[in-house]
Amino acid sequence: MCGVNGIYSYNAAASTPKESELLATRDAMQARGPDGAGAWWSADHRCGLGHRRLSIIDLSERASQPMIGHDGRLVVVFNGEIYNYPQLRAELEQSGAQFRTTSDTEAILHLYAQDGEAMVQRLRGMFAFAIWDSRRQGLFLTRDPYGIKPLYTANDGWTFRFASQVKALQSGGQVSRDPEPAGMVGFHLFGCVPEPFTLYREIRALPAGHTQWVDQAGPREPKRFANLAAVFSAGSERPVLTTELQERVRAAVRDSVSAHLLADVEVGVFLSAGIDSGAVLGLMRDAGQKKIRSITLGFDEFAGTAEDEVPLAAEVARYYDAEHIVRRVSEQEFHDDLPRIFDAMDQPSIDGVNTWFVSKAAKEAGLKVALSGLGGDELLAGYPSFRDIPRWRARYGALAAIPFAGRIARKFAIAFAPSFVQRQPKVVGTLEHAASWSGTYLLRRGLFLPHELPALLGDEVAREGLRRLRYAQIIRAQLTPDPGSNIARVGVLESSNYMRNQLLRDADWAGMAHSLEIRVPLVDWQLVTALAPTLAALSPGMGKAALALAPRVPLPEVVRMRAKTGFVVPTGNWMRHAASPAPLPTMGQASRDWSRLVLKRLATPFAVCAA
Amino acid sequence: MTMVLALVTDAFGGRGGIAQYNRDFLSALASAGSKVVALPRHAPEAEVPPNGVEQRPAQFARLLYSRFAIVEALRLKPDIIFCGHIYMSPLGWIAAKLSGAKLVIQTHGIEAWSRPSRLERWACEQAAIILSVSRHTRARVLDWAVIPPERVIVVPNTVDDCFTPGDGSGLRCEWQLEGKKVLLTVGRMRVTEQYKGHDRVIETLSSLIAAGHDVVYVIAGEGDDRSRLEELAQTAGVGERVRFVGALPHEKLIDAYRMADLFVMPSTGEGFGIAFLEAMACGTPAVGLDVAGTRDALCNGELATTVRIEYLGQTLVQTLNTRKNNDLSGAVRERFGQCVFRERVAGVLTELTDQHR
Repeated sequence: MCGVNGIYSYNAAASTPKESELLATRDAMQARGPDGAGAWWSADHRCGLGHRRLSIIDLSERASQPMIGHDGRLVVVFNGEIYNYPQLRAELEQSGAQFRTTSDTEAILHLYAQDGEAMVQRLRGMFAFAIWDSRRQGLFLTRDPYGIKPLYTANDGWTFRFASQVKALQSGGQVSRDPEPAGMVGFHLFGCVPEPFTLYREIRALPAGHTQWVDQAGPREPKRFANLAAVFSAGSERPVLTTELQERVRAAVRDSVSAHLLADVEVGVFLSAGIDSGAVLGLMRDAGQKKIRSITLGFDEFAGTAEDEVPLAAEVARYYDAEHIVRRVSEQEFHDDLPRIFDAMDQPSIDGVNTWFVSKAAKEAGLKVALSGLGGDELLAGYPSFRDIPRWRARYGALAAIPFAGRIARKFAIAFAPSFVQRQPKVVGTLEHAASWSGTYLLRRGLFLPHELPALLGDEVAREGLRRLRYAQIIRAQLTPDPGSNIARVGVLESSNYMRNQLLRDADWAGMAHSLEIRVPLVDWQLVTALAPTLAALSPGMGKAALALAPRVPLPEVVRMRAKTGFVVPTGNWMRHAASPAPLPTMGQASRDWSRLVLKRLATPFAVCAA
Repeated sequence: MTMVLALVTDAFGGRGGIAQYNRDFLSALASAGSKVVALPRHAPEAEVPPNGVEQRPAQFARLLYSRFAIVEALRLKPDIIFCGHIYMSPLGWIAAKLSGAKLVIQTHGIEAWSRPSRLERWACEQAAIILSVSRHTRARVLDWAVIPPERVIVVPNTVDDCFTPGDGSGLRCEWQLEGKKVLLTVGRMRVTEQYKGHDRVIETLSSLIAAGHDVVYVIAGEGDDRSRLEELAQTAGVGERVRFVGALPHEKLIDAYRMADLFVMPSTGEGFGIAFLEAMACGTPAVGLDVAGTRDALCNGELATTVRIEYLGQTLVQTLNTRKNNDLSGAVRERFGQCVFRERVAGVLTELTDQHR
């Protein structure tokens, strides 16, 4: 886990990039890589690569980056981890490759030299990297299938730039800050900025599961190499029996957790009272990890209540013989940390505060790597959305498909029951949006609905942002080919939107702010490919139950039976207090107010109206 | 062989920056092995296109032109429809759709800086590639067009090989400018294009004279704004210091660049500003504003001086004594020469071929 950046003046009209810009961008990511820094320039000085290192595998200097291939043809800057590196290395060595390090970065160089761009299909892990290919005189970039690791690009027509963070790109001083209305509208709809957009027109995310080639003719359109809907679609064609479910889940998650332990430093785990993190801990033990430190956040506000996760997490830690750390967080500490939180938040998000504190705790404990149970709900249908979205579509979809019915109903409700509309804004949007998967997903996950945007952003930004965002098209593309079942469809939507744009991005900035690599063994392409055939057989709760039973010693019954609580840590209340001193009726309203505060505290290129 | 049908306002036999760009672009396509058929709306002068380019007679009437374009598209079945101006983009889209060709739309300057009509915008969004002459124009296009940014490509103007450093003393003698410091602007003087900034230069002349420069400002070009500028010069008390020399024939234009001490065009509306390249290719230092496409022509101040509008007078005082530098010509050609331009156009052709592989 590191910070990468680069500048390539591909157009002959462009001046050669300035060293000061490369270093300013690189060093804006100091927290991502406190263990070392490097820079490299091509012979003609038209391409420069920068790297900040957090040493996890092969801690020696020889594994520093930018790493140059043995013949000087290839140079790589890499952020992430390749978990199947040992297997790849063995295969590459059999093919004649000679390794100088024990780093997974070198495997990337050899694999690219051998397979070219097709090499991405063989990587298991989280990754975002760029390779300068001096023979082809171009730059190859890619990002892992789920989008665990970020990669942002900026192209002004003469010069191409990339970095692991939006703010780092801006630190170089040469990237336009012209606003992107699609990013602003996307944030208001979903509480996070949907990729590939950012708040800035010139800065875009390289989409998850894509590669991009840049040469003297400029950057080409990104090419997709991984498609979650296709994985589910293929899985639905060879479904497994319910009786096989448990064994399939056990084998796949064991394999994934085991692969995610590859490191030359200690690997810890974030532990809550839920099934996902508990199962990950149990599976770490199964994988033979000797020393395991688990970290749980504790809040005095919850002491002695059912919402307090500390006692149960402690029991799970004891159960698997982990060295348990409980980190108490107070409201005062939350307020003290807020400036640093907003400083670290790369793009606006209505979440991530909990990850900030648990990462802070991990750093205090001296950890560089921690596993998280993030992704279990998306993988094994743990969210209520897996039930709600298909149900809402079935109930209201036909009515919503009647032209103008939804709009008329909304106008009617606004005219005759304005206070109800204010309290339940999404209810009045049901007949407007439930006709499609994109609309129903928006109803379930949306922060604001499209009809509310003009009041918040002004007519022009709202209209233009919606036109540019095209979220219905994005979601249609995500669901192509048809994943084959309602559970798979919702799985694709949750993984490709909420998890990718919110949870994983939050884990990146909040973890990296503390120089902590957060690994997510339940977000793994090999794992999802193995489990795709099981999805159609899942009924509510069945997938998570199978996960709970996956460790050799299954999770204790008290954990398995505990109702899913979701995000019930007091940071929710504190965020509410920070956003608005007045008591707020619902968590939804609190999130809306928090989103306004986030926008005010992060410098954005847009004027922020009152909610 | 790639067949290109070019719908252009003007190209061979046309005047001005857009016609020049079209000529350069179509010639570069031909030199990359394409067969080009150009349909101009205007062609006021006779000019023979290079090998590989065939130019049909100009067709000014809009409906006739549209019919002509569609008939030619159906008859030639081109691989690419090159649409030389945004206002032709709906016609370009129809021709491309009917003939199965890929649509390439060229954007230059202010015509693309604000949102065009819905129909034009929609047609642009269907393009396989939009070309822009500068980063600024590209950025403005991306403000209103919903199109993958990789499809909006900058292909800057180029400069003809005939613009080289040389002796301009003959023209100085002819215009009786010996011993003077000569400022030069080359560009149309249109009421609708007052952004060119002739008036800004006229207004600074008295301060240049006060600073000790025996200066003359030569304005080459014609247009319906000339009388206003003449009056402005009189009013400012510098009527004798401003020479309106009209539109110059090609050879004389080169000499004009060579004899000038400083080329200045403080325009706020240049899509690129090809005259900057021509002047610098002749070794003459240049001054422009740090805005829009001028930034590209002057390479952010690396080839010549870019200045904020409020510092124009002060900068002219300082730069009038800049010595001519033949290295400047080479530097311009390295970035904007014909050779580089042809490579870029070949790159666009490759990109078009790759797009639907």
